[in-house]
Amino acid sequence: MCRPTVRPTPSSRPSSWAVAVAAWLLVPLPALAQPLPTGPVNAFDGRLAVGAEVVATIGERDDIAFFNYTDYEHNTLRMFRLAMSASWRPLSRIAIVGEIRSEDLDRVRPYAAYVRVRPWINRAFDVQAGRIPPTFGAFGRRGYQGNDNPLIGYPLAYQYLTSLRPDAAPATVADLLVMRGRGWRTSYPIGSQTLGPGVPLISAFRWDTGIQAHWEGQAIEVTGSVTSGTLADPRVSDNNGGKQVSSRLAYRPTAGLVFGGSAARGEFFDREVTEALPESGGSHAQTAFGADAEYSRGYWLVRSEVVWSRWNVPFATPPSNLTVGALGAWVEGRYRVTPRIVVSGRADRLAFSRLDVGPNLTPTWDANVWRIEADAGYYIQRNLVARFAVQHNDRDGGRVRKRTYYSGQVAYWF
Amino acid sequence: MRSRMPSARLVFVAVAFGGAAALGAATTGAPASTAVDPVVNGTIRGRVELRQAPADLSPRPHVGDVAMPRAHDPTDRRRSVVYLETAPRAAFDQRDEPRARLDQRNEAFVPHVLAIVAGTTVDFPNNDKTYHNVFSLSPTKPFDLGRYAVGHSKSIKFDRPGIVRVFCDIHSHMSAFILVFAHRHFAVSDDEGRYRLDNVPPGTYTVIAWNESAPSESRRIMVPESGGDVEVNFALGRR
Repeated sequence: MCRPTVRPTPSSRPSSWAVAVAAWLLVPLPALAQPLPTGPVNAFDGRLAVGAEVVATIGERDDIAFFNYTDYEHNTLRMFRLAMSASWRPLSRIAIVGEIRSEDLDRVRPYAAYVRVRPWINRAFDVQAGRIPPTFGAFGRRGYQGNDNPLIGYPLAYQYLTSLRPDAAPATVADLLVMRGRGWRTSYPIGSQTLGPGVPLISAFRWDTGIQAHWEGQAIEVTGSVTSGTLADPRVSDNNGGKQVSSRLAYRPTAGLVFGGSAARGEFFDREVTEALPESGGSHAQTAFGADAEYSRGYWLVRSEVVWSRWNVPFATPPSNLTVGALGAWVEGRYRVTPRIVVSGRADRLAFSRLDVGPNLTPTWDANVWRIEADAGYYIQRNLVARFAVQHNDRDGGRVRKRTYYSGQVAYWF
Repeated sequence: MRSRMPSARLVFVAVAFGGAAALGAATTGAPASTAVDPVVNGTIRGRVELRQAPADLSPRPHVGDVAMPRAHDPTDRRRSVVYLETAPRAAFDQRDEPRARLDQRNEAFVPHVLAIVAGTTVDFPNNDKTYHNVFSLSPTKPFDLGRYAVGHSKSIKFDRPGIVRVFCDIHSHMSAFILVFAHRHFAVSDDEGRYRLDNVPPGTYTVIAWNESAPSESRRIMVPESGGDVEVNFALGRR
């Protein structure tokens, strides 16, 4: 297998734009002729609300370890993100919600676009259809808007690229093992022959398309959805004739405390792959289970989430299906030191199941990763924050096994 | 809105740190301390009209929500505060330890505009169904009360005059203004914009009308030696 060449990505270009934007955002407000908005822009008697977010993250160039790359091939520690969201409520029981986003001034993508209907105005039951918020887990819905993520980096389960791809599959176990720790650019002999990024356990950078129902009681919330893609590969259009079914149950025993449990299952591999391996047969699904918890009190906020995912991977030699699994788990905390200063940290682990490839030889199918991150943030104003982070990554495979990153971020939103 | 703040803040600072001597000079026409005629205090009253009705504060469109946003009480942004730029020395005397209350109800601060005299302790009870985290980054009084549950209350003493903008860290549409004065000659307008400043000693004053949604306006007025009512009306905002 030849080593893939490194293609310059938008994130590896000089980040003068990011510095310029950060400098502009940090200009003392009195110096600005018009102050930055502090809340959403409203029109039509408050029925239309428009918000926006500008996030400039400045970090080291990383074109060798790729610990923080997304499935859109952008580095989360070296990214300029523009987002605009809107909610239009033409009737009290109907809302049309959308968000467009551009990363590194790349093309503008619609991230969210759905209609929300509340059939009975006095019952907390809502139906949403379109490109909808994730049902599974807790971080997916939070992480979409920069301020909801207490750190600059993302949890491994939601961002780190494993070596699996929906559009390509290994012919043998050896093909899979050779890609250990190289999820940022993988290639396999079955399906797509081009080099491409793998997928995380759950993508925090794309939302799935389908229909979702949500009911909220006094202490219980239930959400269920049917969508085109999977957690790892959310899609606008279907690629394999299968649908993903996902659900989440949340319990709030008291204010500030939430427990959640999630499950999802959907066909993962592209039709092009499964049709190339007719002998493997059966389902080629991604199945995931998750548990999350959040507790906040006083100046503390603590969250934890565990995600266990498995995929049925088709192999050509011998013709069979092999189940590979991954477990992502992290705990994060935030503490407000003063009204303006916030510190936060996250300890994160992503571990992969083992393959039995020979006597006393049971490697994990992808390289396990540890990540620890510590951030400090300073609120310049309520909706303008400057953050600095140190993130250390440790991987038991790949070209680079350890890497520490320093990054800074300025985020503004309204 | 922020561009208008500095002028208002300067006024507060001038009042706070200018001292009684400066105030005496500023209140030209203040009563001479002759013991012959008893001084009759007057009343400044009138109405503050907003040319454009300020819109309610709506939550940021959070696309990650999986349900309609909870209904919240509308924020009454029509309230204005009318105050004297400078005041007679007696207005600075403070004998008690005043308390005030800024409630959290149905994801709104009630009242939205609170005017207090420096030294007042404000209670922030959470009478809502959910957590709140009251905080302010205003230089006058930065504070953060942290997250606390329903039925609990925390307090802050406001020692310095100025404008304190209050937010909730959890609910982006919740905000309030606390205007802290060094003297007692201020009033918050009612539903119809009416206000009334009672017990103002005779003299010449600058009366200022403040509203969060429009630049402040000031009027120079005189309360006659004989007391009585002085009517001052304001119309804030662009024509």
